[in-house]
Amino acid sequence: MSTKIYEKVDRLPTRGLTVRALKSLDKFVPGQWDNLVGFDNTIKTVTGETDEAMVQAIGERAIALFNDKSQGYQRALWMYETVDSASGLLGAAAMANRIGQDTFLGFLKTLTPKPEKAQTIDLVVKLVTEVVAFCHINGIPGDSLGDFLSALGDYSSESLMRMAALVSFDGVIPLGADFSSKALTLIKGMRSSDIEKNQTFKGIQKEIPGHDSKGKLAFMTESLESTKGWMDRFVSDKGITQGSLVDNLAGFVEGSKSKLDYLGAFLDVSVKYYEHTGVQTLARRLIERAVAEL
Amino acid sequence: MIFARRIKQLIPFVLVFLLTLPACSSAPSKYDQAQSDTTGFNAPAAVDKTAEKGGTFNQFFPESEGEYNVVPSQEKKGFAEYKLKRDGETLAMLSINDTVSLPAAAAKYENATTTVAGFPSVVQGTTATGVLINGRYQVKVLSRDPSFTEADRAVWLEKFDLQGLAGLKANTKVFKGARGNASTKVKQTKPITVPESVPRLVPQPAG
Repeated sequence: MSTKIYEKVDRLPTRGLTVRALKSLDKFVPGQWDNLVGFDNTIKTVTGETDEAMVQAIGERAIALFNDKSQGYQRALWMYETVDSASGLLGAAAMANRIGQDTFLGFLKTLTPKPEKAQTIDLVVKLVTEVVAFCHINGIPGDSLGDFLSALGDYSSESLMRMAALVSFDGVIPLGADFSSKALTLIKGMRSSDIEKNQTFKGIQKEIPGHDSKGKLAFMTESLESTKGWMDRFVSDKGITQGSLVDNLAGFVEGSKSKLDYLGAFLDVSVKYYEHTGVQTLARRLIERAVAEL
Repeated sequence: MIFARRIKQLIPFVLVFLLTLPACSSAPSKYDQAQSDTTGFNAPAAVDKTAEKGGTFNQFFPESEGEYNVVPSQEKKGFAEYKLKRDGETLAMLSINDTVSLPAAAAKYENATTTVAGFPSVVQGTTATGVLINGRYQVKVLSRDPSFTEADRAVWLEKFDLQGLAGLKANTKVFKGARGNASTKVKQTKPITVPESVPRLVPQPAG
């Protein structure tokens, strides 16, 4: 059965861990994200249109554009959804690994990657997902890093919130304030076999540019290298630290500064911020195009 | 005998399944018809094969000027869009699209009573003003901020290179009759001469 984009947008949650976790970042990107849900509500908010007949016409055109597979919107949605569910598996693996280090179940270390290595792959695969989904949504080749970098400076609302969450939940919390340098060093030291057994990579690999795992790893490294400057500036400009992030999450997640890898793993399995904000981005872009084309 | 007994055992499960099935399906939506019309084997493509590449339109957009920034937003087959920003705030969206994919978009200009730079123009809904070039390419300015008025939209429509767009040779390779009445309009690729005095845009009722 075909995915109904209007139902996806209508069913976006207004509460729950994902929404609360994203709202905890409001301090760093104030006013950027107001959790826009509901298909008609999104049309009215994005376009400012109040004429009901126009709203209906915009909705119908947006649905037609989404349902035309050649337009790339469905692939972008698949990526946003898949990277979240695949990284949830990573969270479980990271949790198992942590238990393995603390207890006699040390043998688990041989079955799961080190948390930092796994977190690095998770971070970079999510980053690449953003690059490729951006390209699908904008109709440009999937490896157009230059176009993505130009657009990154203009990111706003839910797209900027998604990047803030990536930097915070998959960067600063599990890897520390210097996460980008650490991740870059780690990924440069990886081989194809390191990523091939990673769940997040496996979930999304067919969409990552590159002929084989080696090529895909090279694209992942290049993506991180290219966006590192933007991420570092973002963290420093917004004053994002592990401490402030944990303080903001403390209201609803029982985490502590000494258990940050638990917190990272917990966020992995329970917060679906890529899917949530990805659906919002997709709806916005479809609606912006639909109203202009009518 | 054993088979018959198995069937009897399964009946309650089948009944429960059938009774709960409707509860799982979604409530009807005013968009169900649009969904049904655009999915399945015979569903029409949303974007016509012969639609112009979005990248071709980039050259006809206005440049940034003064405090106004014109920032790329989307570029898809048959469509390109920019944001018009001031102090980081989006005031309006600027777009060009090829109506070969959506003939109704061109048809609304047939009864246009106003023009911009000599091209038929209409006000659409409460936030958009558009012009149609050569019966095919639609140029639109869509307000995104209440301070950006209909008069502002008319001003920015004139900042597009409408004459350049009128000189764009339509991609007609596979076009023959592909989209009904639009096929006759696409043949008009000669630029339209600009009148010496540009007519003012008269507000139109929403619709």
